[in-house]
Amino acid sequence: MSGPLTGLRVVEFCDELGQLAGKLLADMGADVIKVEPPSGSSARTIGPFVKDIPGPDRSLNFWYYNTNKRSATFDLENSDEDRAVVRRLCLAADIVIEDRSPGALAAHGLDYPSLAAEAPGIIYCAITPFGQDGPWAQYQTSDLVSLALGGPMAMNGYDPEDAPGAPPIHGNGDQAYNTACHAALHGILAALLVRTKSGGDGQYIDCSMHEALSCTTEVGMPYWLYKRENVIRQTGRHAAAQRTERWMYRAADGRDVLIFGVGRDNRTWSDIKTWMQSHGFGKQFDEERFDDPMARQPARGTPEAKEILAELGAFIASQPAEEIYRGGQQRGQAWGIVLAPDEMLNDPHWWDRGFFAEVTGEGVDEPVLMPGAPYIFSRTPWELRRPAPKLGEHTDEVRAELAAP
Amino acid sequence: MSFFLFVPWHYAHWAVRCVEYGFVGRLPLEGIRICDLTWIIAGPTATRVLADFGADVIRVEHGQAVDAIRLGRPIVGESPTLNNSGFFNYINRNKRSVLLNVRHPMGHDLLKRLIASSDVVVENFSSGVMDSWGLGYDELRSIREDIIYCALSGFGHSGRDKEYTTWGPTAQALSGLSIMSGLPGKQPAGWGYSYMDHTAGYYAASAIMMALYHRQQTGEGQQIDLSQVEAGTVLTGPAFLDATVNGHSWRREGLPPGNRAWQPEVAPHNTYPCAGEDRWIAIAVMNDAEWQALVRAMDEPAWATDSRFATNEGRLQNQDELDEHIAAWTREQSDRDLTAFLQAAGVRAGLVQKASDRFEDDPQLAARGWWHNLSHAELDDCEYDGVVPRLDATPGELRTASPLLGEHTHEVMTGILGLSDEEYIDHETAGVFM
Repeated sequence: MSGPLTGLRVVEFCDELGQLAGKLLADMGADVIKVEPPSGSSARTIGPFVKDIPGPDRSLNFWYYNTNKRSATFDLENSDEDRAVVRRLCLAADIVIEDRSPGALAAHGLDYPSLAAEAPGIIYCAITPFGQDGPWAQYQTSDLVSLALGGPMAMNGYDPEDAPGAPPIHGNGDQAYNTACHAALHGILAALLVRTKSGGDGQYIDCSMHEALSCTTEVGMPYWLYKRENVIRQTGRHAAAQRTERWMYRAADGRDVLIFGVGRDNRTWSDIKTWMQSHGFGKQFDEERFDDPMARQPARGTPEAKEILAELGAFIASQPAEEIYRGGQQRGQAWGIVLAPDEMLNDPHWWDRGFFAEVTGEGVDEPVLMPGAPYIFSRTPWELRRPAPKLGEHTDEVRAELAAP
Repeated sequence: MSFFLFVPWHYAHWAVRCVEYGFVGRLPLEGIRICDLTWIIAGPTATRVLADFGADVIRVEHGQAVDAIRLGRPIVGESPTLNNSGFFNYINRNKRSVLLNVRHPMGHDLLKRLIASSDVVVENFSSGVMDSWGLGYDELRSIREDIIYCALSGFGHSGRDKEYTTWGPTAQALSGLSIMSGLPGKQPAGWGYSYMDHTAGYYAASAIMMALYHRQQTGEGQQIDLSQVEAGTVLTGPAFLDATVNGHSWRREGLPPGNRAWQPEVAPHNTYPCAGEDRWIAIAVMNDAEWQALVRAMDEPAWATDSRFATNEGRLQNQDELDEHIAAWTREQSDRDLTAFLQAAGVRAGLVQKASDRFEDDPQLAARGWWHNLSHAELDDCEYDGVVPRLDATPGELRTASPLLGEHTHEVMTGILGLSDEEYIDHETAGVFM
């Protein structure tokens, strides 16, 4: 079995901004050739590195975002011959993805109009910080700067009493770049579906990270559109028009538990109540005033909700996080523990599902584990066919394939 | 072939195909029908993407168990009517809605007929609900062999904890995303919203389109099992590998790093206060040349030319002092003006935009025509954001506001499913359309 995109050829001109888009295609079967300059993609200089020692083949950022791709190095700046080879590579491809500044690839004859004139079937997706046109088209950005301008950061931060004067906070892990790539993938796949249906024509796709982020801020935008209100930042929970009760409580082992609602219906409430009371908490919950589900909902700001959360906070503080998490889930509560990414490895559920993938590379003796498939396809599964390529690992191979009749 | 012949041939070929297939002005997913059993946020986000690109998304809704987001704030007016939630309207544009009592045998039968005429069935119930309806993948396949069935859930449909449930924030906590956002020594900040409802929805939309592509090639349908927690962990790859390769956990002193850089390790990289209440600018200096540009932009103050700040290593070591100096410089300035000034000077900088800033004052979104209007029976003129990304030949578009509850029941039942008016009334009388 192989992925649904098997047989598709992709040429990728991407660094940290667009590299996830190529990975998502490659992991589902596409043959993605990453065209790199002789010095390598700038993503190869991003840490963390294997054993904290930098090197072009030791970047874990590069390892992760370039699985299943092939790497071929070409000197587009200085070599006419290389430019011609890369152009032929593109003309033979189904999809071209690039994340250069608007207009940059045109200088090498690799812009969409020039390629499409010879190969009208090409789907060409340009991922940029702000899109191909507009007053900010040439602005420079970073993941942090894009999360600021695009809107996610303004919703994320602290209650004033937790961190007086704290700024809006960004989430780590290149989530602005990731969000841009999710949008790019939607466009590429939509173009692919219509290409097959329409008899082979490709098209140009202008993917703006700023726009991708701007429609990824949940209630933040509807609150402005319908109420002309900006939501306010709160510690560990949703930004809201008014302050709401806390969702995050520290357990006895120092780990934070995320609770999201308590006993929304009477059956689960009864289970939670019995559980807490068996540990000596919430003795007053038998009073009639707690029987109404509406009175128990934190968002309503009732005295009952406040009392429930105060007791629950004390209960959580008396127990290890795992007890609260599993105990809550077993009683129908969508609660969680705030885990570090790799702590998922301690939970057999994810092993049951075969979520982890083994990868190798420079500087490790044994295969190491990393996150696997974001989706399980019954017929055409996600597959790790090869680790991220070493710099230029496939240059000769790619040249030979092009030269073959 | 000569160049002279080459160009007109392609042009003619293209023009013929445009006429033959109606390519021009068509939507990329036109002709694809989605039986949309989703609710709340993650599932409807997936079908928003598909609907924006032209799929015929039919929301199957239930009067007894209504989508809670139909009651979701912001509500326009005094009290919820099930049709006046601005939030629901925001994520359910371009879709149709039918009311169907699927627990009623006649309703169940109609659902099966709708599935038979759909390319895709998508749901985000708890694991086990579809089986309890007698509509697991095997049954779906017996209705339509090449059906694509996408199940989006918290923990997936396999594994010992498959009955566990999530909301966006739970998935963010369990996947590692929450701990990667915050100030050192504090509880995690967030994400401040359900990033993983959006993003699990985005992965589901991609998965459905990939499965559709495979079906185009082979005629084969399939089942897709998507866990929101796994999709979240997929977004933490380098951090995950830092633990498995190097033994570096995010549960260590100094992390999360606030708005300072985790990787690449550069400074200055932070948010700085600006004039006005709760106004901030993000500045990210990635190398020495960009640092020199920032120093020039600040008019070369004496402190900035101190040799301790000349290299990235020095700037990282003296980050507290560096950030204090920069904050003192930004504090009295307008965040928007300073963004333009620093960008012109070659510095990566951008103000922290709230929703109001994006909608009212963002020249880039405005110049690219990002905002749209559609009319809605209860909400009147509604504003929406656009479709990303922009396909030049077959762009996505906004056609209709979100559907009223059951707005299209008659149209779908008598149209797609071919019920006669008499049959429709019989079903209605039997309590099927509620």
